[in-house]
Amino acid sequence: MLEELLIFTRGGLILWSSCRALGAAALKGSPIDALIRSCLLEERSGDASFSQDNYALKWTFHNDLGLVFVAVYQKILHLLYVDDLLAAVRREFAQIYDPKRTAYDQDFTDIFRQLHLEAEARAEEMKKSKQALSSRPLPPAASHKTDPKASGDSRPNAAKKKKKGKDDSDDADYTAKEALPNGNGTFKAQDRVLVLPKQGKENGGPNDNGAFDVSKLQRLRKNDRKNNTGAADNGAKKLTTKPSETKKKGKQDRVWDDKPSNKKLDFTDPADERGDEVTDHMAVNQGESMMDKDDNLSSDSEEDEQEVEDGPPKKKGWFSSMFQSIAGNNVLDKSDLQPALKALKDRLMTKNVAEEIAEKLCESVAASLEGKKLGSFTRISSTVQTAMEEALLRILTPRRSIDILRDVNAAKERGRPYVIVFVGVNGVGKSTNLAKVAYWLLQHNLSVTLAACDTFRSGAVEQLRTHARRLQIPIFEKGYEKDPAVVAREAIQEASRNKSDVVLVDTAGRMQKLADLSAVPTARLIDGILLTKFDTIDDKVGAALSMVYISGAPVMFVGCGQSYTDLKKLNVKSIVKTLLK
Amino acid sequence: MDEWIRQAESWVGQAEGWIRQQPPEQIYVAAAVVAITILLLITVSCLKSSKPNTIVLSGLSGGGKTTLFYQLRDGSAHQGTVTSMEENNDTFVLHSEQEKKGKVKPVHIVDVPGHARLKPKLDEVLPKAAGVVFVVDAQDFLSSMQAAAEYLYDILTKATVVKKKVPVLIFCNKTDKVTAHSKEFIKKQLEKEINKLRESRTAISSADISDEVQLGVPGESFNFSQCLNRVTVAEGAGSTGNVSAVEEFIREHVKA
Repeated sequence: MLEELLIFTRGGLILWSSCRALGAAALKGSPIDALIRSCLLEERSGDASFSQDNYALKWTFHNDLGLVFVAVYQKILHLLYVDDLLAAVRREFAQIYDPKRTAYDQDFTDIFRQLHLEAEARAEEMKKSKQALSSRPLPPAASHKTDPKASGDSRPNAAKKKKKGKDDSDDADYTAKEALPNGNGTFKAQDRVLVLPKQGKENGGPNDNGAFDVSKLQRLRKNDRKNNTGAADNGAKKLTTKPSETKKKGKQDRVWDDKPSNKKLDFTDPADERGDEVTDHMAVNQGESMMDKDDNLSSDSEEDEQEVEDGPPKKKGWFSSMFQSIAGNNVLDKSDLQPALKALKDRLMTKNVAEEIAEKLCESVAASLEGKKLGSFTRISSTVQTAMEEALLRILTPRRSIDILRDVNAAKERGRPYVIVFVGVNGVGKSTNLAKVAYWLLQHNLSVTLAACDTFRSGAVEQLRTHARRLQIPIFEKGYEKDPAVVAREAIQEASRNKSDVVLVDTAGRMQKLADLSAVPTARLIDGILLTKFDTIDDKVGAALSMVYISGAPVMFVGCGQSYTDLKKLNVKSIVKTLLK
Repeated sequence: MDEWIRQAESWVGQAEGWIRQQPPEQIYVAAAVVAITILLLITVSCLKSSKPNTIVLSGLSGGGKTTLFYQLRDGSAHQGTVTSMEENNDTFVLHSEQEKKGKVKPVHIVDVPGHARLKPKLDEVLPKAAGVVFVVDAQDFLSSMQAAAEYLYDILTKATVVKKKVPVLIFCNKTDKVTAHSKEFIKKQLEKEINKLRESRTAISSADISDEVQLGVPGESFNFSQCLNRVTVAEGAGSTGNVSAVEEFIREHVKA
């Protein structure tokens, strides 16, 4: 049964609540707030649904009036009629809505009861008709296709969760997609999924795993398609593995056509292989780290209006659409938004944003613009552009403060060193950037210790030792072939003995037992992102966006060069501008 | 096409002739009247825009800003609120003043969402503010102390706030709850946290936050009285209607 249907404004005021109006029990916890914070504000409003504790939530917007409609129900129940009901509620409520009124109880409660009954009845009918369909005897060739369709509908929850559309047409789309892998023999993982449809039984509840496999299949398929697009694919492949890993402080990688030259950072002295004697006394003061330098925002260039003439011709006549855009009564609908969104999505992908992310973002923007009335003298493309800019700004703005120095001071007060673990794939630039961060911390008069836990790669410890020598900071090392977790733990103990403020831990690129590294048994997620090799990418800054979107972690540093001072903060406004140029 | 051009030309000629026929004084008077009207309009609009009369409700997410907004406007919090995704912007006469006889000036209040991702909205609104109400959750204070202090620090160090000496009211909300802290306690804790922030932020000195201003007196522990703009602390409860402190603040600072 539907637990609650809530109608509220985007400003936060609840206009009508089915719980209160019908006298049902209130919800446990506050799933609505969780929905807003972790989904709608994170630009994931294109998702099909959201779940929290044992509630599942679905929502829809009325963008013109600025209203949000949310339906909450028990996750274990697979209610078919929710999308239908939400659409109907939106339609009816929009007719009686008045910006000045704040109480809709008498009017709307009856309407809602009626709509609810109608929606439930419709769903029952549909279920019965589908059941009747599947019980008829079918030819074997067709059974291949219709069985997935039948069981696809008897697994409404899974289907609903992964489907993006709300109508029957999308239902068919989805089952068609499901049917495709049936014929296509290249996906091994789907063997389990195939078994269910072939038997043609109506399994009561699907495993969520079954549904998840299919969605992973879809993603894999998309990735496959993308293989032809070159640079984007590596980023995407790494993305699909990212969410399942738990790391401390992650660094993300890029695949570049031209590798940066290593000239500047080749400090190995041919004279001495141990490198101890040569006092390559680099002055600790190599100038102000770029972290502390002002970033000049050119605010006047914000007015550059690019005339985007690449929009394909609209379906309506040119004159009438022109007239409407001047009169300002144009209501945006999905078909209008599609061309503009597609153009934007392509532009984002040329800037190296992963396709999945670009897709999700475009959906989220579409969800927030559908049904909105265009102001007069505005084109669709400019509205979409503005909406996308706002969305990007929201994603890249950090959710919490990223003041490392403050956290270090807080840890200092507690008498323990502040530990930063650098994690990332091979070749991404961890050790280099670790040295840069050490330099920056030194500039702020904090005592730093390095811990060489990369016990796998030959030369890693020497590399760190060289850095330690140049920066004149202590390094804790135990050589190679040792358990990195043990080394790390001892390093932290040593650092607290020496009253060191910060410990920077270097790890190997290969997936060592990262779980062991944490002194606390609780699994940790990525706290922050350090983007490397930013200087080599011109304007292809999309990876920053992909990483932030997927992990939800803020970008704390940006590495932009080979020397110690090349460490910057992320300038959100300029990134957004570059992405949409 | 040509015909139209010719038509237009003939009209222009007619107008010219007509103007020449009028006595010159009339024309001068007419021109003068037009000029004076334009001047008047410009000066009036200039005067109006230079005096901001917006009160900004800010604070962390969940502090009770939207509830406060509706209390001020309608006298009740209606059916409750959820996390705001957008600002609430309205000009109205305070609910408690609606029964007063005589002319009561409406106030313009903007309730800015407190969620961290929507921080840029605050920057848009602050330049026009005549006063800022910083809403603090007195019940849940300790867990959000650091974040609240940071938010407050950001407001107090904005160049526009310091230059225009915008007054700030720290409103401790939810004091109707049993576990709420007192306003003195909150004030002291905020001062301590801001002190710590001062030290770590000055380390970053001329970083990317280009419009930050130095707070307080270096060398001395931070105190709200060291701010150039007036900072006051008050308490109340949005959900029960105990918002008189805020109303006084508004009446004091919004010029009639």
